[in-house]
Amino acid sequence: MSFLALSFSAPLVLLALAAAPLLYLLLRVTPPDPARIAFPPLKLILDLKKPDATPARTPLWLLLLRMALAALVILAMAGPVFTPATAPLAKSGPLLLVLDDGWPAAPDWAERVKAAESRIEQAGRAGRGAAIVAISEGSRPAALGDAATALSRLRALSPKPFFPDRLPALPALANFIKAHGEAQLVWLSDGVESADGRAFAGKLAALAPDVEILRDPRPVRALAGAENKATALEASLLRSAVGGQAQGLLRAFDQKGALLGEAPFDFDAGLTATARLTLPVEIRNDVARLDLSGESSAGAVFLLDAGARRRRIGLVAGASVDVAQPLLSPLYYLRKALGPFADLREAKPGDPDPIGHLLDEGVDVLVLADAGAGGTALSQRLDEFLAAGGTILRFAGPRLAAGGDELTPAHLRRGGRTLGGALSWDQPKKLAPFDANSPFFGLTPPAEATVSRQVLAEPEEGLPGKTWARLADGTPLVTAERRGPGLLILFHITADTTWSNLPLSELFVDMLRRIANLSALVAKKAAPDSEAPLGGEPLPPSQTLDGFGVLGAPPATAKPMLASGNILVSAEHPPGFYGPPDAPRALNAMAPGARLAPLDISGLSLKSAELTQAQPVDLRPPLLVAAFVLALADALASLVLGGRWRRQAALAMLALTLGFAPLAPPPAQAEPARTSQKVSPRDVESALATRLAYVVTGDAHVDEISRQGLTSLSEVLAQRTALNPGPPIGVDPARDELAFYPLIYWPIAPETPQPGPESAKKLGAYMKQGGLVLFDTRDAMFQQPGGPETAARRWLRAYLADVDLPALEPVPRDHVVTKTFYLLDNIVGRTVDGQTLIEALPPEPADPANRPARAGDSVSPVIIASNDLAAAWAGGAFGEALYPLQPGGERQRELALRGGVNIVMYTLTGNYKADQVHVRELLERLGH
Amino acid sequence: MAESLTFLPKKASRPGPGQQHAALDLAGRLPPLVLAARTAAAAAESGVHGRRRAGTGESFWQFRPFVAGEAAQSVDWRRSARDDRLYVREREWEAAQVLWVWSDLSPSMNYRSPLALQSKAERGLVLALALAESCAKAGERVGWLGLTRLSSSRDSTDRLAVALLSEARRLDDEFPDLPAAVPLRPREKAVLIGDFLVDVAEFAARLAALAGQGARGHVLAIFDPVEEAFPFEGQAEFFDEAGALLRAGRAEQFAEDYRSRLASHRAALEQAARAQGWTFALHGTDRPATEALLSLRLALAADGAR
Repeated sequence: MSFLALSFSAPLVLLALAAAPLLYLLLRVTPPDPARIAFPPLKLILDLKKPDATPARTPLWLLLLRMALAALVILAMAGPVFTPATAPLAKSGPLLLVLDDGWPAAPDWAERVKAAESRIEQAGRAGRGAAIVAISEGSRPAALGDAATALSRLRALSPKPFFPDRLPALPALANFIKAHGEAQLVWLSDGVESADGRAFAGKLAALAPDVEILRDPRPVRALAGAENKATALEASLLRSAVGGQAQGLLRAFDQKGALLGEAPFDFDAGLTATARLTLPVEIRNDVARLDLSGESSAGAVFLLDAGARRRRIGLVAGASVDVAQPLLSPLYYLRKALGPFADLREAKPGDPDPIGHLLDEGVDVLVLADAGAGGTALSQRLDEFLAAGGTILRFAGPRLAAGGDELTPAHLRRGGRTLGGALSWDQPKKLAPFDANSPFFGLTPPAEATVSRQVLAEPEEGLPGKTWARLADGTPLVTAERRGPGLLILFHITADTTWSNLPLSELFVDMLRRIANLSALVAKKAAPDSEAPLGGEPLPPSQTLDGFGVLGAPPATAKPMLASGNILVSAEHPPGFYGPPDAPRALNAMAPGARLAPLDISGLSLKSAELTQAQPVDLRPPLLVAAFVLALADALASLVLGGRWRRQAALAMLALTLGFAPLAPPPAQAEPARTSQKVSPRDVESALATRLAYVVTGDAHVDEISRQGLTSLSEVLAQRTALNPGPPIGVDPARDELAFYPLIYWPIAPETPQPGPESAKKLGAYMKQGGLVLFDTRDAMFQQPGGPETAARRWLRAYLADVDLPALEPVPRDHVVTKTFYLLDNIVGRTVDGQTLIEALPPEPADPANRPARAGDSVSPVIIASNDLAAAWAGGAFGEALYPLQPGGERQRELALRGGVNIVMYTLTGNYKADQVHVRELLERLGH
Repeated sequence: MAESLTFLPKKASRPGPGQQHAALDLAGRLPPLVLAARTAAAAAESGVHGRRRAGTGESFWQFRPFVAGEAAQSVDWRRSARDDRLYVREREWEAAQVLWVWSDLSPSMNYRSPLALQSKAERGLVLALALAESCAKAGERVGWLGLTRLSSSRDSTDRLAVALLSEARRLDDEFPDLPAAVPLRPREKAVLIGDFLVDVAEFAARLAALAGQGARGHVLAIFDPVEEAFPFEGQAEFFDEAGALLRAGRAEQFAEDYRSRLASHRAALEQAARAQGWTFALHGTDRPATEALLSLRLALAADGAR
């Protein structure tokens, strides 16, 4: 139902307006209230009766106000919608929507769907059918359905992470047009040429007249590539056209999705831009994914695999590796220096051909620490490696000095002639500052780094150019030479500390890092595909991108890709990581060297329109706001009329009105669902108050005694000490969380079954965390000295078999537990002669006289009493003993309670009473 | 009196931090209240009142000669070493006195007119908690009549408040307007606070049940100033917490009758309290709470005639 541009979603509600006269009558007869007075002693005068007064009528203006309010609410409930005029459908036939669903459509996918929805709804209102063709599924025939079917199909679509070919969709479109002649064709284009855009547009224009094309004026932005340069990770960016936002932020993430860094970029007025991510090389090596902030598409994500990240460095030592003395191995210093930013490979000990195997593993840098590179086969392999762009880093040593090796940047003086006499310096030499053309330029040689021995280069032409570092007297320390794309570097010292202490300095690490960065550049330029780790084996997809650029599980259609060869991104090979998760190979949506060209439709007879259109306006919120304001006015009027007008009420009303006015128009936001973890109220209570706990044994009588005993003990504690415990609680060690209770009392009831091993494990953990379990075997009355073990002890022994307990001993007289609050001789309960066991103390000190109290380093995790403590503690409501004591007497009960107080204090304060500062006080009180 | 008056919401009678603070503040202004000690309650719980007998206490009472058959460890060797006889050191039996407090929290107490400083329920609660706090501070044992156990811990107001809260949840804030008929033990003391707008016969019976074994106590009737003055006029509709309605064309006509009936009701209450040997006092919520607390403390410390 619609009048002009105004339509109602629930027009039947408007019928309620007809009931307005009824409302008029109803409101008219409702009188204002008399003053209502609450009066508690009303009973005293309830039987008195006096005559009443008559009510007044509602004034007319208030009546009108209320009726206007009612009318507004009714109108709002009818759901009025104001729809601005849209272009009417040109033709009478069904609607055919062609949807580009490659990744360029992803950033504004929601708007595309909205535009498509509004078209479909428009067709639906006009009673016409609609069909949707997604380009990526172009070969499927277009099925005509009603608007609801088309909408549900539209919502099932999502952008694909590649460029689908558009041309294969043409036959299906042609068939549809042929079948439904007067069809209205609308193409929601992503605005990118991608190989066949103009050809497709031309054929579409030929297919039917009046084809409409919807485009987003904003350009598509994409990441074309990223390179790990010496100081920064450089990413190159593309956009399809000038316009829109030129600046943005490039973000780098690691394998686990943690943000590592951000770099700004600016397209300025061009189509390309570069973002430089300056990060420490260790962190740069961890970068696995780059994306453009705010641009959610597969093209705006660039994945980096191991090839772009860590250099693989092979280490070979010439000397035999002494495992027992690692500091003497040259590789030790190299490992420490290179480990943080490189992937180190070493040959297996005893490998007959370590260099060959490392080259087979595909290292980028080969470090030879005084390892010989002689032999025809080997030198040929090394030459091949250099020709492929590899870097060889050599360190000198006794073997190299002995000569016979040509693989050096400069000729070395060799034989006994060169070393010894010429190099017997009086003092070790320091390093000279680095030249400007050296890759080490900028590093500062530390004053304490000295060289006491080195191999010498033959003075020859070009040697200064090859020299990267030199000593203070000008002799080269590091020389290097480019051999084809490869690089050969020689340190004229050993990699260990025998010739120089340079390997100990920070400079050594920095030099190696620069060399590693340099090598990355070399290897990359030379052969991008030379690092394929596994030859021609197919790599299964492990994680792939969807159209929005989100990494996820690969779809069922994804197939393994071959490691070698140029793979084109397609439905079968979505962009993502392929191969084993620890050494994945990345496939990116934008192929290397690809361009982003805008779709050119000039000269074609297509009706071009913008994607975003005016939205229909829901009139409900303003109507409801107006009704609310009227309701406030009505409330004010009622207050005035009812004689309850007060200044405060007026001010409050005014504040309310002002406060609500700006809040009213935006619709209420759904509150984010709060995730709340379930915590039992009992745990909450236990966490809030320190309380004693007892183990529920299953024997109701024993449990009741425990409860009574601990209740009385808690009361005594509250009365006499600084501790104010909450009511005691029964716990089940297998089920309940024990962390809240400092002390758990466990009376042994040997008749009850043993709790499972789970509870023993949990109890062990509780003790390890610092809890104290007070076991009470309650058998002092039956235990004969030297007699057989009682049932309770057997029970306890079996239960504790799996718990890691410390050694126990009977409580010594000077144990701190007998001094923590009261000075006691022993812990008594219903009986007095039972033994109490506690963690054994360290051996007695030499001068026991000065140490009246002893304690271990921590609180004993367990105390095993046998005197039935709880029964002695238990008192009635008036403090009387509830259970007979043996031998008996008020004093014994008092002593039992004092023992309990001491144990609790021991649990809570630990060994502090054993501290020396209390010695004087304790001695004084002991002597008294 | 043109404004209309209503009852406060039901939950207003629940003890909150405000009342607890007020009670602690009130109690803090006065020294700890040691109940009259002449007749300490016959409880074995130790306390501040020396019973002038040997027992389990802290302070020294006497040395007495050792009797054969006693445990050797009870001999006081230091004293015994002075002559040829053995002595046993005895300590004085020190016991605590008991105070039960109770305050009416029923809906009729949830009432506060603009003339009053606090609602009746709030005032009663503050007084009861302050008394409990004072006594607990002095080491006496306190409990809420019919609700909690006796306790002398220092956070007794907390405990009472928590117990009251959980009781309020259980009863959905519909507290009874008379205490439970638990017979008090001899020589215990009780303080009942409320508006006692109940049937006088019922009140007398309940008091008799409480005091049957010889416990002594004090009744403090709290009233709102409006309840005493009846300052209403004009067209009005009165209602009480039970929902009874009274429509008055001219409210001032009722004033005279009401005042006379109120006076006779109070006289009857006082009569019932005196019959049990209890005291009866009035307290308006327009007066400061200290007044009532002081008079209650005086009564409790003096312990009347017995």
